[in-house]
Amino acid sequence: MARERTGDGSNGMAHAGATHYVRQTPIDARAAPAPAGMSLRWRRAFFPSPAMGAVSLSLLVLFTLLGWRALQWAVLNAHWAGASSAACPGDAGACWAFVTARWKPWLVGNYPVAELWRAWTCFGAFALFWAWVVRRSHTASMQRVLLGFVGLPVAFFVLLRGGGPLPVVEPTRWGGLLLTLVVTLATFATALPLGLCLALGRRSLLPVVRWLCGVFVEGMRAVPLLAVLFIAATLVPLFLPKGMNLDLFARAVLAFALFNAAMAAEVFRGGLQSIGRGQREAATTVGLSDFAALRLIVLPQAVTAVVPALVNIMIAVIKETTLLSVIGVNDLLGAVENGARSPDWMGESNILTSGYVFLALAYLTVCYGLSRYSRRLEARR
Amino acid sequence: MTSRGTPETNATVASLVRINKWYGAYHALRDVDLQVASGERVVICGPSGSGKSTLVRTVNLLEPFQQGRLHVCGVDVGADKITRAARLAVNRRVGMVFQQFNLFPHMSVLQNLTVGPVWGRGVSRKEADELAMHYLQRVGLIDHVHKHPAQLSGGQQQRVAIARALCTRPQLVLFDEPTASLDPEMVSEVLQTMESLAREGMTMVVVTHEMGFARRVADRVLFMDQGQIIEAAPPGDFFERPRSPRLRSFLGQVLAHRDPHVDI
Repeated sequence: MARERTGDGSNGMAHAGATHYVRQTPIDARAAPAPAGMSLRWRRAFFPSPAMGAVSLSLLVLFTLLGWRALQWAVLNAHWAGASSAACPGDAGACWAFVTARWKPWLVGNYPVAELWRAWTCFGAFALFWAWVVRRSHTASMQRVLLGFVGLPVAFFVLLRGGGPLPVVEPTRWGGLLLTLVVTLATFATALPLGLCLALGRRSLLPVVRWLCGVFVEGMRAVPLLAVLFIAATLVPLFLPKGMNLDLFARAVLAFALFNAAMAAEVFRGGLQSIGRGQREAATTVGLSDFAALRLIVLPQAVTAVVPALVNIMIAVIKETTLLSVIGVNDLLGAVENGARSPDWMGESNILTSGYVFLALAYLTVCYGLSRYSRRLEARR
Repeated sequence: MTSRGTPETNATVASLVRINKWYGAYHALRDVDLQVASGERVVICGPSGSGKSTLVRTVNLLEPFQQGRLHVCGVDVGADKITRAARLAVNRRVGMVFQQFNLFPHMSVLQNLTVGPVWGRGVSRKEADELAMHYLQRVGLIDHVHKHPAQLSGGQQQRVAIARALCTRPQLVLFDEPTASLDPEMVSEVLQTMESLAREGMTMVVVTHEMGFARRVADRVLFMDQGQIIEAAPPGDFFERPRSPRLRSFLGQVLAHRDPHVDI
């Protein structure tokens, strides 16, 4: 075949100049050459030259040594069971006994044992919700997912706090992972709508609204979260009128909500800006009012565009909840530290270290999972 | 009402009286007077930056103006009273087709066509669906009703945009360079759709560089330069006996190249 084609007098090429070239035989599509095999790709990646090979090998040795030390500490020399610090002598191995013995306060804090079913219900409901989100969150149902994030924490708060037929459990008795979960969700439920309002406010036609929203967002973004938390914990009670009392939990959630609303506002603003003027004009010319255009044309596109960025804010919120322990709220980090201060587990620094490592792994699992999920959302678009 | 020197008849769909518009210090529209009669096809051409697009976008109040008076489909708007309500009222009677299509990418073709009637005009969903199917049939895209805009070619997208404009049952349709961003192969399918629309008596104002279309379809061709209407005539006179030197040189350049995609 190929021979015949080159035989048409022009070597199958359109030459420069005045020659009039016409292809005689059409070229059928051919399969692409096979990709390089696994071994070849590895060799290219790690040993492209002797020097780079040496770097690869020394890094391999380094990581092997570090990995071996970590394995010794975390598994081989670790202490797995026991009810007090006596179970973990020395610091050659991790003290997982600390973790296995105290999992309950770390999960739910001081929540009354008789009412624990409420906490388990919340965990279960969230697990179901999350499974639903991960399984079916193509972009079209994004609004429903966001709705769940707003509705769920309200339901959790009502159930956990009780009232009416249920005995009241004050938030001061909540703690550990439960508190972290509720604070994260409550922050999202308030910060997202507020952030959207702020973003829309910054585009308002009224200069006063635009200015106020701008000052709030820029102000919040310029202050560290820790400062906001301290203000909420110590200064806000002084400003409140006598007789009115917000508990520490509510003030902390408020601080988180306001701070992250400013973050979300910037994200939403980017989303709104990404929708071109043409979309709004087209909405106008088919007879939609400004509000209908916003609701039906601009917001669905803007919100879908920023979902990965919103997941990033969520990851940040989850990690920020550890700051709660600084102002004396018994979150997961606070629960671990309180545990290490209890008479049974006092003494060995290795015990607290083990607690911190466990904590880091727990946060890593949750946040890495969320991050993977966010990547998947991006890939789907 | 002070529509000086331009008596309106019942058959006038749009009437612009001494419209002036500035972008900052730049005088973009200068004393523009224009009447469009019901059923009339007006084509506007001219060099880029001459104010053609600004003019059609003024007709449905996408662009505000600083002086003059606008009377469109029974809505009377003075330069000092351009309100949201006026813009909404005008846009519920006037359709528009854009150069960049501006379809709603998150909606199916059917939703693109029905969102205006349902949420803007209070038409029932069933009725809006029937209307949409009718006009999709008209533009020959009935098979694509459940696709999203990104799955269509440029020419198909622009035909959907035309159907979308028709679904609002407009008394006047504005076209702002509807073929300027299409591949050459797709220009004719859009022009054919527009020509069949013209044959059925739709009132149209079309900004375009397609001189062939202007010749075949227009009742009147307008030439704009530097924000002013320089010359307006029926296509025969316009192309064969241009009077102003500016139009003569413009036609000389456009017709010499005959490439509709050179943005002159």
